[in-house]
Amino acid sequence: MCDWCMKHGAGGKWYMNAKNYSNELAEAMNAQEYLREQWKAFEMVYIRRIMGITSIDLGYKLQLPIIGRILRWSAERMIHSEGKHRNPVRADGHFGQVIPLEEAKVILGNLAAEPIIENYCMCRWMQRGIKEACCINFGLLSGVIEKLPRFIPKDTKYRLDRDEAIARIEEHNKKGYVATVWFQPVPYINAICSCENPECGGLRLRNDFGLHTVYKGEYVAEVDPDRCQACGTCVTKCQFGALRLVHSLKRVIVDINKCFGCGVCRHACKYDAINLVPRENYPALRGVY
Amino acid sequence: MFPKKSPKVTIDYTKCGEKGQMDPRDCAKCLRVCDPAIFILHESPNMPIDPVDPKYWRITPVWLSLCNMCMKCVKVCPLGAITVSR
Ligand code: SF4
Ligand code: SF4
Ligand code: SF4
Ligand code: SF4
Ligand code: SF4
Repeated sequence: MCDWCMKHGAGGKWYMNAKNYSNELAEAMNAQEYLREQWKAFEMVYIRRIMGITSIDLGYKLQLPIIGRILRWSAERMIHSEGKHRNPVRADGHFGQVIPLEEAKVILGNLAAEPIIENYCMCRWMQRGIKEACCINFGLLSGVIEKLPRFIPKDTKYRLDRDEAIARIEEHNKKGYVATVWFQPVPYINAICSCENPECGGLRLRNDFGLHTVYKGEYVAEVDPDRCQACGTCVTKCQFGALRLVHSLKRVIVDINKCFGCGVCRHACKYDAINLVPRENYPALRGVY
Repeated sequence: MFPKKSPKVTIDYTKCGEKGQMDPRDCAKCLRVCDPAIFILHESPNMPIDPVDPKYWRITPVWLSLCNMCMKCVKVCPLGAITVSR
């Protein structure tokens, strides 16, 4: 469990706490107003000036001697802000975590507030100009997105019941998309995404610039050396470069420091050789997300 | 110790964007050809704001430090609107 579980998990994981999904919480936080402002021009988030600075060429700016450190510090503070005056247009307090399919199904089956919708993924739209319906949103956020035609699939059913939502996340996960659950803003939870790296803005900021927009999951992959047939299929599925087929060993090895615990490699294995185990089984990974 | 300067990537908005002949949503070739995905599609600033369904769009090269200068975007652009330089 991470710091956010300590704060918002009620003794468990933050995303398993039913309260964080409730309309009551959303209303108490005035989340609707925030979400409306955030979503109406979400695509501007990297273009806008924030304290005089845009995200354009962030990689260079973050390396500048003093400014870079200040920038990183304030970006982390914005991403994780729990303050009263959070700014929606810079997505203050919006971050998430990777989860395995099993937990995504529990959330969609029991915890997510209705209505549940599946809309076009914002990130694939911004980064690739592609409209793919694979973002599952719920609660108050559904009502906000429904009013924005560019995110609403035209020819398919986008309002889903719980079973349909579970079937969809299963489909995305088996394709190799990584399931992520999101605070928006913390501690209100209203989205399960199916992401690709580097198309996902969250994964981009995390993997390329080291910002904690997405936390690694509570698990890591483990390969059973007796079952692994060294076919290499799983390696093609990992978006984080955490798996490698070692020809001389005739099996796959896991780099647990790279593994995000998404579990999508498991779907590729015909020999049932990959399992997810809790991250904390590895003393070296305790507290490392 | 100053960091390495990123490549410079520009788009001519008189060709592609709110004032050009191309709406980038209809082309999007540069967005898709770039392996590191350094471009962002967004509504045009300085245009009348439509909070429901924005009509004017452009592309900004954002993640410049990740550009590997492969020149694929320059080659793929049907209008020759993109330049990449050091
Ligand atoms: S977080 Fe993932 S699924 Fe959601 S909009 Fe971004 S890439 Fe798409
Ligand atoms: S898919 Fe399964 S059997 Fe094939 S290399 Fe990966 S772990 Fe081994
Ligand atoms: S090795 Fe880890 S990060 Fe890679 S696909 Fe498997 S669970 Fe996901
Ligand atoms: S030169 Fe290559 S890496 Fe750089 S923006 Fe163009 S396509 Fe992308
Ligand atoms: S390839 Fe050229 S015309 Fe097409 S979207 Fe990109 S900049 Fe515009």
